[in-house]
Amino acid sequence: MKSILGIIFILFCTVLVQCKTQKIEYNIPSHVSALNRAIFLDRCEKGRILFKANCSGCHGIFTKGKDGVPNFTKDEIDNYRAVVLIARDQKNHAVAAKMSPEQIDHIITFLSLRIEKK
Amino acid sequence: MQKDFCDGAPWHFRRPYYINMKIVSIIIILLITVVLSFSFSERHNKTYNNLYETSINAFKQEQSSLEKIITRADLSSEKDIQVIKQKIASARLALKNIDFWLRYFEPIAYKKINGPLPVEWENEVFEKFEPPYKREGAGLTVAELYLDGKILSKDSLLQLIKKSQTAIQTFEADSISSQLNAYHHFFLANRLFLLNLAAVYTTGFECPDTNRIIPELRSLLNGTANIYTTYNLSFPATPLTKEYLTAYDSTVEFVNHQPTSFSSFDHFDFIKNHINTLYALNQQYINDYNVNSINLNDYTINNNNRTIFSKSLYNPQNTKGVFSLVDDEKILSEIRRIGKLLFYDPILSGNNMRSCASCHKPDQYYTDTTRRTALQFDNQHSLPRNTPTLINSVYNHLLMLDGKHISLQAQGKDVMTNPAEMNSNEKELIKKVLSCKEYKDAFRKFLKLTPEEKDISLNHIVSAITYYDGSFSSFTAPFDDAMNNKQVIGADVKKGFNLFMSKAQCATCHFVPNFNGVKPPYIGSEFEVIGTPEDTSFVNISSDKGRYTINPATETLHAFRTGSIRNAQFTKPYMHNGVFNTLEEVIDFYDAGGGTGKKLKIDNQTLAGDSLKLSTGEKKQLIAFIHSLNENVIFETSPASLPRSSDKELNNRKVGGQY
Repeated sequence: MKSILGIIFILFCTVLVQCKTQKIEYNIPSHVSALNRAIFLDRCEKGRILFKANCSGCHGIFTKGKDGVPNFTKDEIDNYRAVVLIARDQKNHAVAAKMSPEQIDHIITFLSLRIEKK
Repeated sequence: MQKDFCDGAPWHFRRPYYINMKIVSIIIILLITVVLSFSFSERHNKTYNNLYETSINAFKQEQSSLEKIITRADLSSEKDIQVIKQKIASARLALKNIDFWLRYFEPIAYKKINGPLPVEWENEVFEKFEPPYKREGAGLTVAELYLDGKILSKDSLLQLIKKSQTAIQTFEADSISSQLNAYHHFFLANRLFLLNLAAVYTTGFECPDTNRIIPELRSLLNGTANIYTTYNLSFPATPLTKEYLTAYDSTVEFVNHQPTSFSSFDHFDFIKNHINTLYALNQQYINDYNVNSINLNDYTINNNNRTIFSKSLYNPQNTKGVFSLVDDEKILSEIRRIGKLLFYDPILSGNNMRSCASCHKPDQYYTDTTRRTALQFDNQHSLPRNTPTLINSVYNHLLMLDGKHISLQAQGKDVMTNPAEMNSNEKELIKKVLSCKEYKDAFRKFLKLTPEEKDISLNHIVSAITYYDGSFSSFTAPFDDAMNNKQVIGADVKKGFNLFMSKAQCATCHFVPNFNGVKPPYIGSEFEVIGTPEDTSFVNISSDKGRYTINPATETLHAFRTGSIRNAQFTKPYMHNGVFNTLEEVIDFYDAGGGTGKKLKIDNQTLAGDSLKLSTGEKKQLIAFIHSLNENVIFETSPASLPRSSDKELNNRKVGGQY
């Protein structure tokens, strides 16, 4: 009995740990060189951190987000106007308007390359 | 019971039905109200929409009759050519009635209707991460230029008109015409119109026949007055006030009383006393009416600024870099202090001898006035290009003379790691910087503000420097003060400015108000081919390929980004290779028609090769104007000492380096 409980406990812990460390995967085309892949991944990672800290309150990728605010599906972000509209709109995107072009780029790279969970 | 009620009772006795009935009738009433209010507002809007439609149709008729005339014409007959030219002129006038909308709604399609050049390469600020775009021009101006060419083919000429006929259809699409149903676009289009009045319309930038500039300006102003009237009829809740309309009437009257020759036109008075007043009012409407933009044209223009002659007219380069999200003034001033130390610190270079201040000398307007081009890292060879002043560099959307970099930070990193310049590498540089306790403590603190950066990186170092040197650009010049009614300026300066805007053709590349290559709507940087010689013997064109090295194309060979002429008196030598030592030499070169005028063989010069025929007096006036753009720069004093390093050898380094 004890051993069964033990096994269940271990399984439970594994699942917990897996949930916690589940990495976001990125879709980087296969023809991209290893060096550029590393650059892309670095940008994605910076973008993820910036997004989580500054955007996810409204845009629900990591959290619930707000109703009616885009969750940035692939289609939404593919339209490059997003870059412009985010940075320009001082009212709803005051934080994004402050960001450097590189920071915006990191976020857009993150959003466009991340593989959405089904 | 419940079951019975639902299943057994006849359907018309069911209570929910009555409730539904009530809800349904309320919804119907609401719907009717909404529909009615929409149809009222639609009817209400029609005057303005109708004007748009009829004006576009009138222009389309001009286009098709032009097409017919060309089809029937004999291009070898001078008489027929003149008939075509007259028709182009009348089509241009019809275009002036819709220019107000077209340029704002879809500038790329507009270039096919009346673009200034057959091919333009653009790299706009919102496309920072996209390759340069090729824009093909067509339509009236290009057709007219084509008629002045040597070999004429009717098909090519017709193509230019047909392209413009296709392009005008863009403006009939719902996505564009639906914007006319709300007031927002109007004030933004009007802003662009006013900026173009100040910077483009009176300079001949897109009107090859200089005799027609002022007549066309008059018809443009009249056409727009008509737009204003219908707008106010359709949008009484957000009108142009009487104050604006009166100021506009006086602008029209001013232009009507001015001489028809654009060289005698008083550009100074026109901008200062008329356009700038209108601009201030229009900016106020944009704020008061909560105007929203969905247009890329508004990307950089600052809604809170009230005058064209201000450094806050459009947003400059981002100077904060990785520290962009930092707001705390105390921390920012600490970042600035560290940035200043780094600016003077040769620790950033491979041999610990060169600092930013070595070439961007703080006592020489942050450039080096003693050399044509700076020495390379080996201290023997020269770099290919002249050191640019850092003052006002933030007002370029692309950096370096070939537009290689899109951000100040990328540019800064390039200089530090370039083997011919500071010859350092990221790893070594960070190690050396962090060997100084003062830097290390500061950057450890700053690192906490940038969670996306794992460690202290070159991003932190370069961002501190750009935050410091970006502050050199905030000063104004006597000419700005004169434009803003804070100072009276000499008659020769005014004359010089009027020449600059007209006969001397300077303003077709150096745009108001920064007099650099950034023109309204201030979202891109322009490049020009002017045929700068290798040396003053004018035997060879400079071998530097310029923009071509970044974006190889027929049009970009020897093209360089247009620099600002602010502080030019103190930033010699001039041109990308520092070939000229005085402003007089520069003006003589332009007066002669650039490289082509000096008999150099250049196929793609963007400057007319004819002489400007400037008199000695006129050249002096131009220089007087250029001197009025000397800014009241407050120069920084260098730091007394640099942070101590744990590496004793590094402590021998000198403030500002020793180059």
